[in-house]
Amino acid sequence: MYIYDTFDHTVTRERVAEFSQQVKRRLAGELSEDQFRPLRLMNGLYLQLHAYMLRVAIPYGTLSSVQVHKLADIARKYDRDYGHFTTRQNIQYNWIKLDQVPDLLAELASVEMHANQTSGNCIRNVTADQFAGVAGDEVEDPRIVSEIIRQWSTFHPEFSFLPRKFKIAVTGAPKDRAAIQFHDIGIQIVRNSAGEVGYAVYVGGGMGRTPVVAPLIRAFLPKAEILSYLEAILRVYNRYGRRDNIYKARIKILVRDLGPAEFTRQVEAEWPEIRPSGVNLPAAEEARIEAFFAPPAYEKIAEPVASFVEAKAKDRAFARWVSTNVHPHKIPGYGAVTISLKPIGGIPGDASSAQMHAIADLADTFSLSEVRVTHVQNLVLPNVKQSELFAVWQRLGEIGFADANIGLVTDIIACPGLDYCALANARSIPVAQQLSKRFADLDRQHNIGPLQIKISGCINACGHHHAGHIGILGVDKAGQEFYQITLGGAGDETASIGQLIGPGFAGEDIVGAVDKVVATYIAIRSSTSETFIDAYRRVGAAPFKESLYGRR
Amino acid sequence: MAQAKLESKILTANRLRDGETVYYTAAGAWSPYVTEARVASTPDDIDGLSKSGAAAYAANIVVDVNVIAVVPGRDAKPAHIREVIRASGPTVRADLNKPVVRPQR
Amino acid sequence: MAVVDRNGPLKDAWTRIGEDAPAPKGASVIVSLARLKNEHNSLFSAAGAVGVEVASDVDLADLEPFLARLGVIVVRMATMRDGRVFSTGRLLRERYGYAADLRAVGDFIPDQVLFLLRCGFTSFEVGEKFPVESLKQSVAAYSVWYQKATDRAKSVVELRGENSSRGAPKGSSS
Ligand code: SF4
Repeated sequence: MYIYDTFDHTVTRERVAEFSQQVKRRLAGELSEDQFRPLRLMNGLYLQLHAYMLRVAIPYGTLSSVQVHKLADIARKYDRDYGHFTTRQNIQYNWIKLDQVPDLLAELASVEMHANQTSGNCIRNVTADQFAGVAGDEVEDPRIVSEIIRQWSTFHPEFSFLPRKFKIAVTGAPKDRAAIQFHDIGIQIVRNSAGEVGYAVYVGGGMGRTPVVAPLIRAFLPKAEILSYLEAILRVYNRYGRRDNIYKARIKILVRDLGPAEFTRQVEAEWPEIRPSGVNLPAAEEARIEAFFAPPAYEKIAEPVASFVEAKAKDRAFARWVSTNVHPHKIPGYGAVTISLKPIGGIPGDASSAQMHAIADLADTFSLSEVRVTHVQNLVLPNVKQSELFAVWQRLGEIGFADANIGLVTDIIACPGLDYCALANARSIPVAQQLSKRFADLDRQHNIGPLQIKISGCINACGHHHAGHIGILGVDKAGQEFYQITLGGAGDETASIGQLIGPGFAGEDIVGAVDKVVATYIAIRSSTSETFIDAYRRVGAAPFKESLYGRR
Repeated sequence: MAQAKLESKILTANRLRDGETVYYTAAGAWSPYVTEARVASTPDDIDGLSKSGAAAYAANIVVDVNVIAVVPGRDAKPAHIREVIRASGPTVRADLNKPVVRPQR
Repeated sequence: MAVVDRNGPLKDAWTRIGEDAPAPKGASVIVSLARLKNEHNSLFSAAGAVGVEVASDVDLADLEPFLARLGVIVVRMATMRDGRVFSTGRLLRERYGYAADLRAVGDFIPDQVLFLLRCGFTSFEVGEKFPVESLKQSVAAYSVWYQKATDRAKSVVELRGENSSRGAPKGSSS
């Protein structure tokens, strides 16, 4: 993991002091709410329905056990004893008091954490593949360039007041676990025909009111050039992105209006002007950062691991959990465990301070003290020995997080929705809870196979519904909560946007409607190995429409 | 007639210092309990609420100030689900719910 | 209106003149871009010094012919969210080599002055109520920056390079 040096500590400390002053000036009335709002947002502080909400950055989803303990302590001391992990690999606290934020930030800083740029019209926290560094299919660890981008984007003098928010995601593998094509900039680490490592750059993706799958604007960018190229993209956007209408201010609209070819031309014209400015990192600095992500000291373990094989044979529930929740590790004898924060009937992504402490302890005992956050609102223990998976599974059972449902129908993404969010039209969490209960039967879940349900409480799409195989969008229909269904979205390397299937459903009918969609899939699939999304892509929306709305 | 009653309004906001959801009372204070909200039913009364809200905002006591509709009746009961949830807490955490009536000690 | 820089209030000799008002002989005048383009010959010969006020999205090619002779460029932020001003500042300084006073006007708040300074702005036109003390505090908020910018403050990257070439320990201090 990256470890702060004196400069990182200085910047973080000075930031805490600056924001503390801003809070003081606000409380004293020197700053009006209109003036303070953009300042607090740049520090991840929102006003929600019940209180302030603070969004703490978890850069590229990587946490140390010490940091997880601190997040738990903060939940207990400053909040109501829990936190919510989000689709942007951050954690949100829901019950924060403005006058306590300075103390909270100082505590975060003590473990090299912050809430910088987790909201506001600036470059947000960079997200990455949760299996960075441990996935066998990766070209290079995406956390290296993510950390480089984190530093470069922190309080950027030119790009801190953009037309709108700006999100960057990185994957180091061809299998996209970071939904990069739904980001303002998506970066894929690739190897060219000469064997050199560089970046494929996608620009102008996004969700929200106008979902767009980002076009590729550069197939290969040499590694050393990333910051100058990003600066060229950002400068074109900052100068020419629309500022007259917030719904048209994201970079995706600029790319669409100019056309990807013309947008690319402008970026490529700007880039050579920026390259000599010294923004690209010197090789020594890149190497310094890279060194922090060197593989930890793994043991040499021969596979198969007898005790692991035996445990799977003896305990069917364990074997099933392994099949869904353990991802292959690039080192023989290890596995990467996804901890499901989706217990049946639970609140997706929520964890209590006791659960967080327990997970931090598990990381210390079994996972080289590391934890990751996924954009599907789960946690990962990236480095578990296969011989210890059984013990990990049992301990997870003790804290209620051993559900064998990763990637299945109850591994639901849900945004906070109208239970917390000031922008919401409808509740998301209760829908997720009811669906989870409806599909609770594990045999049935495993029979249905990979299926992603994603729920947003409004068109802002924090619940990624556009990218759900089944997407659910809450709308307000004459003061009532209504839910629209989209089908066929995907957030991986085959990114696609779900299509609205028909009129929405009332709160009491949405679960039945989803059940019908699933039943239709079961009826039409060509075999049990044809997944929901494959079947949908083969047959299209028609049979699903028919089962939901009858023949027209 | 029913129409006129539907227009009953209360004034709500969040306290600047801690963000707590609060309601403007008959005594001119801010209470966390929606049942203590002053209900305004005439245009003049409602206008008065708006003015009190604007003044409290300008004085940096509260933020996110809104006049909202309530169901007709003696107790102030918000008409829209959003405001029902604001008044009593997330529906998915019964353990964290806020009473709408000031608890008796 | 008052003019300040990072240290506080400044004496300011510039006056704006309207579209039709004659330029007082020998005075330091700020005109619109349209007037500058139309009347630059007479303006530069009559006035003591000439400045221009432009919008934050000004086409820099329009300004380029006059840059060497302008005494001030005033860039107007449409609102405090108008971040185009930062790119405009950097481009004027770094790409077009503009060297005289670069002034921001508009609804910016003290906390943004720090960013404006880093992007090449040198003076700020502010309302009478502008909290100058907060500005002074705000511009001193950071002693180091991750990025290099127009103000040429050394970036963290450069400082790290110097540290390691002096043989100082790399990596963690915590
Ligand atoms: S999608 Fe809408 S309701 Fe859900 S968290 Fe985002 S803004 Fe709130």
